[in-house]
Amino acid sequence: MGVVSEAPAAIRSSNDRPGPVALIRNAFTDVVTRRRLILYMVRADVKKRGVNTVLGNVWWVLDPLITMLIYVLVMTVIFQRSTPDFPLFLLSAMVPFKWFTATVGSSTSAVTGKENLIKQILFPKIILPVTLTLSQIVSFLFGMAVLLFVWFFVYHDHVTWQVAWIPLIAVVQYVFVLGWTFILSAVTVFYRDIGIVIGHFMRLLFWISPILWSFMEVAGRGARLQSGLEGIERSFGLPTGILFGIISMNPVSLLLESYRKVVYGRLASVDVTDPETGQVIGEQLVWLEAVPPDFEVLAIIFTIGVVFTIIGVLVFKRLEPAFAKVL
Amino acid sequence: MAGSMDERNNAPEAVEERVDSTRDERMDEDALAAIAEAENQAPDRSDFGLKVDVPLGDVAIRAENLGIRYNLNFTKRTKLRTTFANILDPRRRNAGHFWALRGVDFTVRRGEAVGIVGANGSGKSTMLLALAGILKPSEGVVETSGHISTLLSLNAGFDNELTGRENIALAGALMGIDEHVMAEITPGVIRFANIGAFIDAPMKTYSSGMKARVGFAIATSVDPDILLLDEVLQTGDNTFKEKSRRRIAQVLQTAKAVVMVTHDMSWITAFCNRAVLLEKGKIVADGDPDEIADMHEQDAAKRAKQKRKAKQLMLHGVASQDEIKQARKEGTLDDMIQGKTGEVEEAKAEKRRQIQEKRARRKARRAAAARAEAPTGNGSAAEPEAEPVAASARSDESDQGAGKQS
Repeated sequence: MGVVSEAPAAIRSSNDRPGPVALIRNAFTDVVTRRRLILYMVRADVKKRGVNTVLGNVWWVLDPLITMLIYVLVMTVIFQRSTPDFPLFLLSAMVPFKWFTATVGSSTSAVTGKENLIKQILFPKIILPVTLTLSQIVSFLFGMAVLLFVWFFVYHDHVTWQVAWIPLIAVVQYVFVLGWTFILSAVTVFYRDIGIVIGHFMRLLFWISPILWSFMEVAGRGARLQSGLEGIERSFGLPTGILFGIISMNPVSLLLESYRKVVYGRLASVDVTDPETGQVIGEQLVWLEAVPPDFEVLAIIFTIGVVFTIIGVLVFKRLEPAFAKVL
Repeated sequence: MAGSMDERNNAPEAVEERVDSTRDERMDEDALAAIAEAENQAPDRSDFGLKVDVPLGDVAIRAENLGIRYNLNFTKRTKLRTTFANILDPRRRNAGHFWALRGVDFTVRRGEAVGIVGANGSGKSTMLLALAGILKPSEGVVETSGHISTLLSLNAGFDNELTGRENIALAGALMGIDEHVMAEITPGVIRFANIGAFIDAPMKTYSSGMKARVGFAIATSVDPDILLLDEVLQTGDNTFKEKSRRRIAQVLQTAKAVVMVTHDMSWITAFCNRAVLLEKGKIVADGDPDEIADMHEQDAAKRAKQKRKAKQLMLHGVASQDEIKQARKEGTLDDMIQGKTGEVEEAKAEKRRQIQEKRARRKARRAAAARAEAPTGNGSAAEPEAEPVAASARSDESDQGAGKQS
């Protein structure tokens, strides 16, 4: 007939369970052959997000700016932070973190929110989480534009070619998040509770991730955090350093610090000496120029991401046949 | 507001119909000819007369030993808590299975229009979902050859924030139709839906009738090999109904397979050249649509009667609600009703006797009161009324009351 080109012309459905290799191959061909559908859905999703507001897509620029201003106000005025160029320091980690939370947070409704569609027409459901991650990239790009604008026009000192590494870090982050999106979007169909749990987890993650603070501030929050966590570890009988290890070694933290390294630069504490006596009277945070990210760390996170994506696709494809029954 | 919009949009319909999409014009004529022919052949069905005889082609849908099982442990309202309870309690672990469909063998050839009828919950919609491939069989196989177009619900999976035009494009992409083909089809869809300027307004501003029009227009315009319709044909005004009837006749003309689920027997008898009766997830009859429609209507009448009888059982305390539920599940409700008819009759007679007794006692009491008042001489106005009551009470075999009095 030639009318329909992207959907299969003959369908055989039974309760056969294809093996893992076949599942992954199916998922891959589904995404590739239905790329136009993905494009349409991303476009619709992006359009929809700005449709009910007066300012529309202007909010995508205003949103990160306002968030940044609030935190800058709170941290510098109320908490008296002395980090140099704090707004850029904050924004360089906030923008990628927002991308992460927005993607993971909305993954729980990627499938459940399309209930009508799933019960109405046959299409590969795997494109739903893929669509979600792609449409979140769009808002990330707007946030990134704000960050780079502030970086370039307000903080001239920080401008180096190291920002060219941002796409690489973003790709690693995308792959890392993708697997989680598959798993969460599929499992939430069966346990809606996950949506609530994820919301709280994201709130916790915001505070334990280096956004308002950095591991590079050795003399500052980093060190104090470490000693505080050791206290918790002692009272719960955990091995010393495990909590700090989890917080500092988790992929989200490492990614955020990578962004910060290439956009903002590094921080170091130097001793402040009394000019008259030559004695050390305190410490001060100084800013050092941007450096390339730690490639080994990125490679490890990427590998973890690939493994999670494979697991995620398997989980999703395995659960997919039950979606229409449960929803 | 929505109603007035509808009317405004329907006004130019008569004109619109004549200028239907040029692509379909020839088919339209064919369909009209077929209608005329069918009218001549079957004057008894002149109200619709759309039944089209098309030579049966090859197999479009084949279902073999199809079974759909729902796991009741995982319904929408499942909580983590209940799952843990199910895991911990071995009695509950395998409790929640329900076969919505089982052992269904079903073949549809090209050119066939099959109507699926049955009571609520007999598995009609489940069957359609399975044929569409949306529900995976728990056992058995469903094979379809050809492109499927489904219209299974009124909102047809539309995105309410997008405009009608965007939704048409999205639906095309969902069905996997080429962009250039979609560009060709879209004007025809818009013309058929005939909702005027609303086509560029967000779908949330549409009335349900307008949505149904767009959905129906898309589903039938994409030139599907197999068209699956679920209970969507009742909506819309008469003009649109008539239009959609003609469109279905067209789809049939081009030797497509149609499977529809509806409660409206007139659609089954007018359109389908075959019908299937489902009962509790099984096909119990398959054949001529008129016969099946009759059968279904008789069944419905029988069920209504059974329901009434079962209610009586409960009312008279012969059987509890749980017992009736149990009997219905085991299919022994009819026997139960049969077996307990005597008891019901007894209970009824008992109740009647009690009521009569009560009435008699009341009458006797009133009569006694009247008699007690009568000697004092006043209340002459009440006397003529009280007298016949007392008389009738006495004549009404109320020995007890009288006995008590003396």
